[in-house]
Parts: sequence; structure tokens; C-alpha cells
Amino acid sequence: MEQFALQFFIACVTAAGFGIAIAAFGCGLGQGMGLKAAVEGIARNPESSGKVTVTMLIGLAMIESLCIYALVISLILIYAHPQAAAIAGLFAKGH
Amino acid sequence: MNIQERLLKFVTLTNWILFITASIAGLIMSPPDFSRGIIFGGLIVTVNFHLLYRTLKKNLSPSHLTSHNVILAKYYVRFFISGLIIFFLISNHYVNPIGLFIGLSVVVASIMLATMVEFKKLFFKEAV
Repeated sequence: MEQFALQFFIACVTAAGFGIAIAAFGCGLGQGMGLKAAVEGIARNPESSGKVTVTMLIGLAMIESLCIYALVISLILIYAHPQAAAIAGLFAKGH
Repeated sequence: MNIQERLLKFVTLTNWILFITASIAGLIMSPPDFSRGIIFGGLIVTVNFHLLYRTLKKNLSPSHLTSHNVILAKYYVRFFISGLIIFFLISNHYVNPIGLFIGLSVVVASIMLATMVEFKKLFFKEAV
């Protein structure tokens, strides 16, 4: 039983690691592109700084929340999996 | 008022309204750990949004442009602290994960709402 629980835990940790890695990669790219465009816009037209900053703020908040979602899911997978005991039990029954 | 300012005002106000509504609904209708999740999640993202606004406004206005390192440092400190809080909340089972998820969706929900309102205005304007 412990062996199967351990297998299940390893699978959860691997999924959490890949999940947050992919999310951070995507969000990093997205935020970087947004920031680049905004800073270029401000450099070309400094008067538009306020408008560009507000638009960028909303975009960044949206992208950042996606990364926080992924972090939450990863932490749930490792520390608070709702069906952990039941799935470990199924593993044990199956073998 | 131009669209950017209107959007920001709407999102900022709707954030607090949604957060308070969701917290009260959670306190009345759901178990304590679920409502704790909504309250903590909502607080984390709403405070994060305000801090992000202050950082960007301070550092991207042409009158006092600061070093990009300051923006990066502030960004990482903010993100690290929110990550740490979420980690402690989940690892010590203080909150229900689904409640936390709902709380963390406050900002996204208000941005979606703002977008829908703007779309509505756009279509309404075109129809007239």
C-alpha cells in the first residue's frame, strides 16, 4: 500500500513541477511581450505613458493571475490532493 | 474620460465589490475553511493588483523614471510573498483549495466583467 501511495505521490509531484514550469514559461513570455511593447510605446510617445501603463496593468494582472492559478494547482497536487487517499487505495486494489 | 481610465476605475471598484460580496456569501453559505479560502484568495489578488498599479505608475511615468531593477525587485518580492502565503495556506490546510481558487478569481472576474461592459457599450453605440 505504501509503495503505491509513494508512486502516486511521485506522479503528483512530477505533474506539479511540469505544470508550474509550463505556466511560468508561458506567463513569462506573455508578460515579457506585453512589457516590451508598452515600453517601446512609451519611448516613442512619452505623453501616452499614463494610457499605456493602465492598459498594461490590466493585461499584466490577467496574465499574472494565470501563473498564480498554476501555482495553486501545483500546491494542491502536492499538499492537499482531495482524493489522494482514495486514489492510493485504487492503486493498491488494482495490483 | 477615456476608455483606459474608465476600465481601470471599473476594475478597481469591481474588485472590492466582488471580493466583499463573495466573502459575505461564503461566510453565510459555506463552511469556515471554504470562506477563509475566498477571503484570503480575494485579499491576495486585490492587494497584489493595487501594489502592481502603484509600482507601474511610480516607475513608468516620464517625470520620474527609475531603474528597471527597482521594478523587477518589487515584482519578484510581491510574487514571492504571495507564493509564500498561498504555500502556507495550502500546506497547513487552513483553507479549502476550491474556496481559495474562487477567491483568486476575483480580479479575473472583474476584468472579464469590465470587458463585457465595454463590449456592450461598443455594440450599443454602433446600434444607435
